Amino acid sequence: MFEIFGIPSNALFGQLLIGLINGSFYALLSLGLAVIFGMLNIINFSHGAQYMLGAFAAYLLLQYSGLGYWPALIVAPILVGITGVLVERLFLQWLYKLDHLYGLLLTFGLALIFEGVTRNYFGSAGLPYTVPDSLRGGQNLGFMFLPNYRAWVIVASLTICFGTWFVIERTRLGAYLRAATENPALVRAFGINVPLMITLTYGFGVALAAYAGVRAAPIYNVSPQMGSELIIVVFAVVVIGGMGSILGAIVTGFGLGVIEGLTKVFFPEASNTMIFVIMAIVLLVRPAGLFGRRA
Amino acid sequence: MLDVTSPLLAIKDLQAWYGESHVLHGVNFDVREGEVVTLLGRNGAGKTTTLKSIMGMVAQRSGSVRFEGRELIGSAANQIARAGIAICPEERGIFASLSVEENLMLPPVVKPGGLSLERIFDLFPNLKERLSSSQGTKLSGGEQQMLAIGRILRTGARLLLLDEPTEGLAPVIIQQIGKTIRSLKEEGFTILLVEQNFRFASTVADRYYVMEHGRIIDQFSNAELDANVEKLHDYLGV
Amino acid sequence: MRKTLGLAALAAVLVCGSANAQQINVKIGVLTDMSSLYADIGGPGSVAAAKLAVADFTKDHPNVKVDLIIGDHQNKPDVGSNIANQWLDVDKVDLIIDTPNSGVALAVSQVAANKNGLFIVSGAASSDLTGTKCNANTIHWTYDTWMLSNGTASAMVKTGGDSWFFLTADYAFGYALERDASAVVEKNGGKVLGKVRTPLNTNDFSSFLLQAQSSKAKVIGLANAGGDTINSIKQAAEFGIVKGGQSLAGLLVFASDIAALGLPTAQGLVLTETWYWDMNDANRAWKKRWDVERNAPGKLPTMIHAGVYSGITHFLKARLAMGPGAVDNKAVVKKMEEMPTDDILFGKGSIRADGHKIHPAYLFEVKKPEESKYPGDIYKLRATIPADQAWRPLSEGNCPLVKG
Repeated sequence: MFEIFGIPSNALFGQLLIGLINGSFYALLSLGLAVIFGMLNIINFSHGAQYMLGAFAAYLLLQYSGLGYWPALIVAPILVGITGVLVERLFLQWLYKLDHLYGLLLTFGLALIFEGVTRNYFGSAGLPYTVPDSLRGGQNLGFMFLPNYRAWVIVASLTICFGTWFVIERTRLGAYLRAATENPALVRAFGINVPLMITLTYGFGVALAAYAGVRAAPIYNVSPQMGSELIIVVFAVVVIGGMGSILGAIVTGFGLGVIEGLTKVFFPEASNTMIFVIMAIVLLVRPAGLFGRRA
Repeated sequence: MLDVTSPLLAIKDLQAWYGESHVLHGVNFDVREGEVVTLLGRNGAGKTTTLKSIMGMVAQRSGSVRFEGRELIGSAANQIARAGIAICPEERGIFASLSVEENLMLPPVVKPGGLSLERIFDLFPNLKERLSSSQGTKLSGGEQQMLAIGRILRTGARLLLLDEPTEGLAPVIIQQIGKTIRSLKEEGFTILLVEQNFRFASTVADRYYVMEHGRIIDQFSNAELDANVEKLHDYLGV
Repeated sequence: MRKTLGLAALAAVLVCGSANAQQINVKIGVLTDMSSLYADIGGPGSVAAAKLAVADFTKDHPNVKVDLIIGDHQNKPDVGSNIANQWLDVDKVDLIIDTPNSGVALAVSQVAANKNGLFIVSGAASSDLTGTKCNANTIHWTYDTWMLSNGTASAMVKTGGDSWFFLTADYAFGYALERDASAVVEKNGGKVLGKVRTPLNTNDFSSFLLQAQSSKAKVIGLANAGGDTINSIKQAAEFGIVKGGQSLAGLLVFASDIAALGLPTAQGLVLTETWYWDMNDANRAWKKRWDVERNAPGKLPTMIHAGVYSGITHFLKARLAMGPGAVDNKAVVKKMEEMPTDDILFGKGSIRADGHKIHPAYLFEVKKPEESKYPGDIYKLRATIPADQAWRPLSEGNCPLVKG
């Protein structure tokens, strides 16, 4: 066993792995934001609230219909995704031609409403949700104890991230999406129902947030403010990665998770701030973000 | 049933607005099946707006656009495309974030009877060579134009709207495009062409309409072209 | 909102103005967090408790007329001070009560001292309220950081938990908790192996928990609150910390936090509180009435809620004893300190010269899921800490009010 900067190497491996796991949450949430921004040109400030709604939906499904973690992982994102579709049809579709600021204000307002309503009904302390029985316990990796649930989180995250990247970058549907980002009018004139595609894209982005919320429920406190605490970091991830860049969101999400994890070892007090320091530096050096297309 | 004598595309009193500005003031013309018809006119006469209005890409429009006897004025662009009309826009509309192959395969097939990929590569041999190129916008101007035309030939659309396909291209490329349009006509495509270059148009068109200030002000057939050259110079300000 | 409250208060004054000379009119303001982080430990539950206290007292003493008004400080010291100023200057509020969040409570305590108001703290934790920052207009009622860390830490050390590692929230409250608990651990012969300062509102504690795990400390002390506590306990369970032989000590955990964690996750956790709804018949009967008033199924009353009830009750007794007419608030505090406290929730007790209410504290252990027989059945009593041992000795607080 050797040491790196006074930290035993095996502890460091553990921290790297933990960072990667947390990064998978950042990646998943910023992925949804990137998809929505790329397609709708909307900075979806209610993303954190929709993540929270995913966790609450999982709790409610368990309480009132006895649906456990695994079904909730499918059902909750669909339900929350449907609310996203409604939001897009009722509100967002009127804002595409306006300045970004309007979409930001609207979604920020929606986030406050979602948070306020859940707080009114469920209080602020939070709701219990436990790790599913099949994923209890963990593996001793030698350098750390890895809970099975965390292992699942990272596998599921990588799968969804890769799947989304693959669909957008490598399939016909993805080609429609990318083309519609550039020139929606022309894509529509080729016979593709672009407004429907936009609506479903928003629904999908929201469902991704809810999916992350369900996955967070067993390990993070399920409370109305759980999303607003996370979303600021996720926005920083998106800005660092480059607004609207799918690959940027994924790579930056995982990368920043690792950097944050290491900060927690070497300078714990700064661990929540580190990401913003990096954001400031990236914005100075590359204003479009690390993977941004627009210069 | 479709009346064989009725035109494939009949435009009546087509009006269009961009916000406050009234661009088309009642455009009337016909395109018959298998014809190549050219809209001539100066910049700003309303030619591109006419194509976009037919395609449903202008939000505020009124009048009548009948295609195969079916009224399309109230339809959205995607429904009009599904009816069998395809557009090749003036700015070509090659997508930077798509590869050449993705650009070529992008427009969905809306009807049976579109050209096979082999046939498209016969018409545009350059495209086949550049197929693996990473980005559509890395192609030369001529190659981009071929890609923009090639991709709408796959879809099975019977009516092609081509907006100034020769603009800014080298003479040798213009000749190739002219050849392509003639062979498309032989294949049975109907083509509505917007051109400022009436010398090029004269090598492909059956009939001409001249536009000014958002209206059709004159029309003549290819046979009448020579008799009208003076007038055309006047109209086009050449 | 405060404008409406002000109007309501004004209307109340007009109505009361014509009452007979024997009538005692008081106005009580519940200043709390109605809609944010602490809305479950204080908030609407505190309002419900205040209503019960007023109802019980005025039933026996119809000549006391109480107006209750509510303010939401939103966890912002400036908002809290503004409301307190308005209440004291314009609305002539006789008692400000509750106020979770130590930052807000310290600010309001200053306002009460400057304007000669009366402030009973039930919701906030900082032991500075009766220490260096004490004043003659503030009474700290229910609990404080010293009592919590003393109760939990000394019990843990005595039962073998003699080496500690702290997860400390990186702000004044966390430092105070860690400082007080470290002192107790060392006084009882234990030692502190390490600590890590975690930023407020951290989502993921696993990095910190791994550090705590590799320290091999027997006890991991959680010097944090609210969501941070819940997240650290939840993730400690996930990482098998307790199964691996280490214990968790929650230095500030409320019944509502346990409800948020669920017993499968929270079981075995040791913590200190001064009141638990299921300890005796009086508390159980009171919870039933609180449930009706609160009207939020599944919520549990916390010690803060009970403290609001108890504080208002004692204040009204003192006010009644002083009779109608204008009174000086410092005199009311003196009166409250002279009179022994006695109410259905906390039993007999007293208030010290530094403004601290004195009563016993209880060391609880969170039940296993199979031990819990009905909703809200979450604690078993491990030890009772007598009133004279539960609190920081008067001489150690450095409160300027205490002479000698």
